[in-house]
Amino acid sequence: MKRWDLIVIGTGLAGLTAARTAVEMGAKVLVIGRGMGSLALFGNSIDVLGAIPPGADMETGVADWIAAHPDHPYARMGWPGISEALGAFRELFSPPYTFAPAGKGNSLIPTGAGTMRPTYLLPVTMTAGAGASAADTLIIGLRGFKDFQGDTVSLHLQCRGVNLSLPRYGLEGLSALALARLMDEAPFREGLGEAIRSQMAGERRIGLPAVLGLKAPADVLGTLETITRAKVFEIPMLPPSIPGTRVFHRFREFLIEKGATFLLGNPAISADLKGGLCEGITLQNPPLLTPYRAERYILATGRFLGGGLQADTEKISEPLFRLPVSQPESRGQWFRERFFQPEAHPVHRAGIVTDQELRPIDTRGRIILKNVRVAGSILAHHSMIEEHSHEGIAIATGYLAARRALAS
Amino acid sequence: MDLQTEVLIIGGGATGAGISRDLALRGIPSLLVEKGDFTSGASGRNQGLLHSGARYAVNDPEAARECISENRILRRIAPHCIEDTGGLFVSLPEDGHEYRADFIRACAAAGIDTTPLSPGEALAMEPKLNPLVIGAVGVPDGAIDPFTLVVENVRDAEARGARFLLHTEVTDLICKDQRISGARVRDRVTGEEFAITASRIINATGAWANEILGLAGLSMGIALSKGSMLITNTRLSERVINRCRPPASGDIIVPNDTVSILGTTSLRAEDLESHEVTPEEVSFLVDELSRMIPAIKGERFTRAYAGIRPLVQSEQTHDDRDISRGFTLIDHQSRDGLEGLITITGGKLITYRLMAEKTVDFICERMGLDVPCLTHLQPLPGAGRGHTFQDRLLRLRHQTPAFRRELLCDCELVPRETVDAILREGKVRELQDILHRTRLAKGTCQGGFCVYRLLGVLNERRKEEGLGSSNRILTGFLEERWKGIRPVLWGTSLKEEELIESIYKGLFNLAPEATAPNEGGIP
Amino acid sequence: MTQLEQITIPSRHVPDLCVRCATCMAVCPVSRVTPLFPGPKQAGPGAQRFRLASQDSVDDWIELCTACRLCDTACPAGVPISELNLMAKAKYLGERGQRVRDWLLVRSDRFGELFSRFSVIVNPLMKWRAVRWLLDKLLGIDRRRDLPAFESPTFRQWFRNRPVATDISGRRKIAYFYGCFTNTNEVDVGKAAVACLEAYGFSVTLPPQRCCGLPRLGLGDLRGAREMGRRNLSLLLPTVREGTDIVFSSTSCGLMFRHEYGPLLDLSGAEELATHLFDICGFLLRLHEEETTAVRFKGLVAKAAYFTPCHLRSLNSGLPALELLRLVPGLDIRTIEAECCGLGGLYGFKTEKYAIAEEIGKDLAQEVSRIKPEVILTDCEGCRMQIRQLTGIKVLHPLQLLRDVLPSA
Repeated sequence: MKRWDLIVIGTGLAGLTAARTAVEMGAKVLVIGRGMGSLALFGNSIDVLGAIPPGADMETGVADWIAAHPDHPYARMGWPGISEALGAFRELFSPPYTFAPAGKGNSLIPTGAGTMRPTYLLPVTMTAGAGASAADTLIIGLRGFKDFQGDTVSLHLQCRGVNLSLPRYGLEGLSALALARLMDEAPFREGLGEAIRSQMAGERRIGLPAVLGLKAPADVLGTLETITRAKVFEIPMLPPSIPGTRVFHRFREFLIEKGATFLLGNPAISADLKGGLCEGITLQNPPLLTPYRAERYILATGRFLGGGLQADTEKISEPLFRLPVSQPESRGQWFRERFFQPEAHPVHRAGIVTDQELRPIDTRGRIILKNVRVAGSILAHHSMIEEHSHEGIAIATGYLAARRALAS
Repeated sequence: MDLQTEVLIIGGGATGAGISRDLALRGIPSLLVEKGDFTSGASGRNQGLLHSGARYAVNDPEAARECISENRILRRIAPHCIEDTGGLFVSLPEDGHEYRADFIRACAAAGIDTTPLSPGEALAMEPKLNPLVIGAVGVPDGAIDPFTLVVENVRDAEARGARFLLHTEVTDLICKDQRISGARVRDRVTGEEFAITASRIINATGAWANEILGLAGLSMGIALSKGSMLITNTRLSERVINRCRPPASGDIIVPNDTVSILGTTSLRAEDLESHEVTPEEVSFLVDELSRMIPAIKGERFTRAYAGIRPLVQSEQTHDDRDISRGFTLIDHQSRDGLEGLITITGGKLITYRLMAEKTVDFICERMGLDVPCLTHLQPLPGAGRGHTFQDRLLRLRHQTPAFRRELLCDCELVPRETVDAILREGKVRELQDILHRTRLAKGTCQGGFCVYRLLGVLNERRKEEGLGSSNRILTGFLEERWKGIRPVLWGTSLKEEELIESIYKGLFNLAPEATAPNEGGIP
Repeated sequence: MTQLEQITIPSRHVPDLCVRCATCMAVCPVSRVTPLFPGPKQAGPGAQRFRLASQDSVDDWIELCTACRLCDTACPAGVPISELNLMAKAKYLGERGQRVRDWLLVRSDRFGELFSRFSVIVNPLMKWRAVRWLLDKLLGIDRRRDLPAFESPTFRQWFRNRPVATDISGRRKIAYFYGCFTNTNEVDVGKAAVACLEAYGFSVTLPPQRCCGLPRLGLGDLRGAREMGRRNLSLLLPTVREGTDIVFSSTSCGLMFRHEYGPLLDLSGAEELATHLFDICGFLLRLHEEETTAVRFKGLVAKAAYFTPCHLRSLNSGLPALELLRLVPGLDIRTIEAECCGLGGLYGFKTEKYAIAEEIGKDLAQEVSRIKPEVILTDCEGCRMQIRQLTGIKVLHPLQLLRDVLPSA
């Protein structure tokens, strides 16, 4: 039976990063994913650590933060490792659609709720949002596109907002994907640009829902900016995420081009474990159970949403390798009394505990599986939602896991 | 802005609304005040069961007869508030055949039509039933929508001149010379305070009866009983499923539109706000009800909620005519020497009309009026206008540009025009008022997507009116929603929770106003 | 009782798995081009909560689902969305009754053989505008759709009558499931398959076979699909049981056999068949990977592009055809970055769906015009038809190109 150098289980940003890193190191990689992963939901810009104020130096800020949070996944590689991983991520995207910080360190970008969120690397289609101010920004809502409410955004940002409809296409009932596709067509976006221009009152920045094209976002940006003579930016909204989908497609295209085998749509349901090693995993595509073998494995199956962690009425488990999950003592302690708390609900900090090399360890610190590494949000001791560190954790740990796995 | 009326009704549950309508139909003007929205109390926190009365047939034949009588009346006057699901009383091996035999006899005696069914027939009708079922009995149970029922009563009453003030709280009773002549109230939204004078005041506040009585220095013996319920993501049965045994906790499953409501428990509640459903209650309901439908063990629940029922401790009634076993009507003049105030409490949702009838009969007598009750004859305004949830599915057909029907709630298929219509009526003052009046946020994701969209729709107006941030409303909604979902967070519901938190706290960086950075705008 | 209730479906609380995340909405090709279809989130697990077995179906838009199954591949919760859609479609169509057109179209294997016999008349007839107009108006087969020509002899006839050259005793036997379309409309694909298999040292047998049943399934005729399945299983299992594996060259037939006979249609013996049934390219690729073949392709300098059929994605065993093509020295082979050609099997033939199918295919056509390949390769006959019509470029099954670069050729 064919043996791969590496099998990555999970097609979220962590799994994709691990796979790509391994491929670039010359490994023969098999990637398995039950579904598209959270890139299609939230991935739009790259959040690393929201606590670092805009304008502050990321290196020192993150390093200090890590020192105060020694159990955090970021402690496995520190800022140097995070930075290297982020650099590699950026290299995957060739100009003009690139990811970069908007200023020094973090920036604040407007969201679909009209709030501001700290983020680090932005795609070029979002950069202009980081500098937006109430006086010079116009928010464009698209009538009938309900997952972005322009009035909510402009109301909270206290700037002007306009809702457009394009009669020829009738935007009612169109999905985000349908809109993004229309944007990829020059005549459509030219018409939109004209419509926006006719509503402008001297604004220098235009905010739109994050549907600025799937295939050609840079072209969409270019057209709109040329016609409106303003800076244009897209604003993250309710799922699905078009910017995240672009990232997913880029990774997939890259991996297939480089000869990796990409199996999307079915879960790995069991692992063959012997003597502290994983000998193979089994993919379930009913009625078939297909075994795959590799020298090494990376588990990047996500948290509850991705199925990496499962919770019944009593406890949380990791269903594939059956790794122990660090978790609160009982279900009664999973969630706090109030929804909004300064700290994350304890259940969100549950996960797999690893050593510095991202290998899973037990409570005594002994390595459970020598040829398995763990990456991404499934790791314990982080609160990616509150920290605004989801993408950073995925990229940094995915990168490290692959490098360490292939070094051994 | 003081107001005047003939009869002041305190409490906007089924009882209060029913009284208002009954008065209106007899030509007596009234004004109803309610501190929240309609059905804030037990009327809005029950299982939505249109009892056939069969449940009481063996132990309480009077109550059973009353139920079936009201059941028939409601079917006649409010068919559009009812889904005629039918019901089954299901016997499991441990229940034996004896009770079933008594049950059938007792139902016949109470005038309730029953249809004995074999296990095979029962399972053919309801495939999810426990295959070990030893028999079943068909009864004329149904599912009723309390909110629509109340709102319809209100609409009818309003059309005949009755008035209603929501979000209006009674802060004091106006008492002089041993006579209650009105109340002082406060509008909870605007803060405005004013007085309402009336010849008669009816305390129809259900479990809150003592809150009002206390304002006049009175009290009555009320114990508070909490009943908890679980809502499933999908509808488990076409009919109401009851346990054929002496009435106990955890023996009813009521279908409600696209979901099922499992219930209920009966625990002493500390106070009126003790709506928390405990993990023990959740486990109990799952264990007990999965005896009837085994799939419940692995079922996904979207919400848990509890209602507080008032249990009236034995009252010395001074007027035997008014008292039926199920509810209590107190004339405070006879009992406490205070003129002008009566209290009506207890009872079941579906006997509201009868309670109202008795109350208004009493009032008429006191007023020297000989006007008969018409509420059992006159259909409610929307009657005849059938509505099934299939109607909502039908709308998906028209999701074309030509029809422009924008769906706000994907889970429950609620289009924007439904919300627009409610807003046009101009009566809603809070987000929950809109949510009460539609199926929005009642589905799988419990408002995770649709409330954002709804607020967007509202923000269009808010901008025009110069109102501020709606995120306070959004965070308030999410906090309120939390109470219902927290008790059932495991399995798929926990995944849902991770999704919602990732969107609102993560992607949107939403936080309650006090701690949110840059809430007021951008620099 | 509807057809639906007559068939045993593995019971799962599938709507409960859906967390309404809308990931599926990021891939659905139909909702990508038209708001008439509410999208997989709504059509599948969403509407499922509103469907009662005892009440009539009202979801006529469910017919707009092409059953591409991309939603299934994207769903992080494993909701079998397309299966839910299929069940709803089956119930809806079962209540409405089958159109004459659909009755004809699902019997494509029988009618195909008839038309092949009379292809001399049928082919030119199918090009007459008057005939196409009639078919459009009477049967709802869109006149804009290029209809595939019928070939004579059929593949099966060709195989039976060809001279059996060289010594084949002692060779390992391999059975070939060719599928209706190869048999009557693309005989050369079958010939290429046989040539490749023989070049790899196998002796090819053709077990008796019927249409896989996918057209019936697509039209909601679960009973009909099940019937075809039962027949095929009785015809093919003996082959499997005597130790001969079966390969398929049509990814749609393969999907039907491997993943619908068992899980959806609950046919006994399906699992046994599935474990001995392989995509022909996957089968051959494995020989290269295990280094049990001496086949080395001759060089071919050409600019080619490979398109992944939706059903191949659902088979989820990788892109073996692409990997084989990469073994051809000199061949510039790239992938076409587009999801779903839009044809949806019989879907794009129908007047009420033609425009949607065409619009879906535009994305693919755009990518092709960007790449400008000389030849396009794809495993699915539906995709080949659609791409031919959309681009006018030569489209082949990968086997046809590989046959031309076999060492012995």
